[in-house]
Amino acid sequence: MKVSNLKKSDCTICSIEGEINLNTSPDLRKAFEEFSRQNIKKIIIDFEQVPYIDSSGLATLIELFQRMKKIDGKLRICSVPEKVKNVFEVTKLHKLFEIYDDQESALEGF
Amino acid sequence: MEEKEVIISLRNVSKYFQGKKIIDNISLDIYRSETFVIMGCSGSGKSTLLRLMTGVIEPDEGSVIIKGKNITGISVEELDDVRRSFGMLFQYSALLDSLTVEENVSLPLREHTKLAEDIIRIIVKMKLSLVGLRGYESYYPSQISGGMRKRVGLARAIALDPAIVFYDEPTSGLDPVVGGVIDKLIKDLSSKLLITSVVVTHDMQSVFNIADRVAMVHKGQVVIVGDVATIKNTKNPYVQQFINGKPHGPIDFFKEDIGIKEFLEL
Repeated sequence: MKVSNLKKSDCTICSIEGEINLNTSPDLRKAFEEFSRQNIKKIIIDFEQVPYIDSSGLATLIELFQRMKKIDGKLRICSVPEKVKNVFEVTKLHKLFEIYDDQESALEGF
Repeated sequence: MEEKEVIISLRNVSKYFQGKKIIDNISLDIYRSETFVIMGCSGSGKSTLLRLMTGVIEPDEGSVIIKGKNITGISVEELDDVRRSFGMLFQYSALLDSLTVEENVSLPLREHTKLAEDIIRIIVKMKLSLVGLRGYESYYPSQISGGMRKRVGLARAIALDPAIVFYDEPTSGLDPVVGGVIDKLIKDLSSKLLITSVVVTHDMQSVFNIADRVAMVHKGQVVIVGDVATIKNTKNPYVQQFINGKPHGPIDFFKEDIGIKEFLEL
């Protein structure tokens, strides 16, 4: 799994590439912790290149969501493949996260 | 038509206990994300079949193939690896009474992963939410009902996102309504999370509620495999006697019993 960040004005777009599972989610957590250290308050997570996410990946995302809430930050998710979207829906997390079709629509009014 | 992916395959499997053939040359394929029910009378060999599939015991003849890997005769380490893709719901839930609901569900995560405590705590909440037990984290097994304990057991069984969950008599000892709740959960996990469910039961209501396909085992052999309609409509006298709970028929408990003289060794 690879994580790359792109700054767009005051927003950070985090693109993830590869499966998020028990082996890779600790690395994702480290990447997310870096956001807190840098006090980044607006984050878009791009899931376009994520074919699979397991419960540890979802939990890592929830933890980021909780942290962002604490600092009054904003988190958006975009470009979620159908298979991953199903996992969000089964776990009802689609109601928790703001999910957008693509980066452009996620950036709109952010 | 889309080819179905075989996830569990038994090839000519036989098992003997004390010289008696308990499983007799069974070959069976179970497909990904289906709910496959194994039914049969007590002593028919259905639980032995489950133990063979989970690698608890090895066949004396034939092979058991899980996700393309023959688990017969592999090392303990390799078997542990395969088992990590299983979840198991035991007949009596097998929760540890001295641990809370949260601690019970988190056990496999603590044992098999190096995830941070905060992450484990969130996963446990997610799993408890999936089985409808949000808010019960701090309860002890003795403080909740039998049906709830089963659901905690199920949350623990799916803690590691298994590809396959094995259920041993999941509705036994539960009232019909709670049994129906467990049935719905099994069905939901299969359809939504694409988990393959292998259920051993003799609860006919449960069979008809959840099964995509059913196998009936009698005297260590598979009598029939088919969908629910096939099972209901078959003229096979063993199946008809079993599903209708008739005391008399080809499944004759008394005929197999040894006489009193032999029993007393006279």
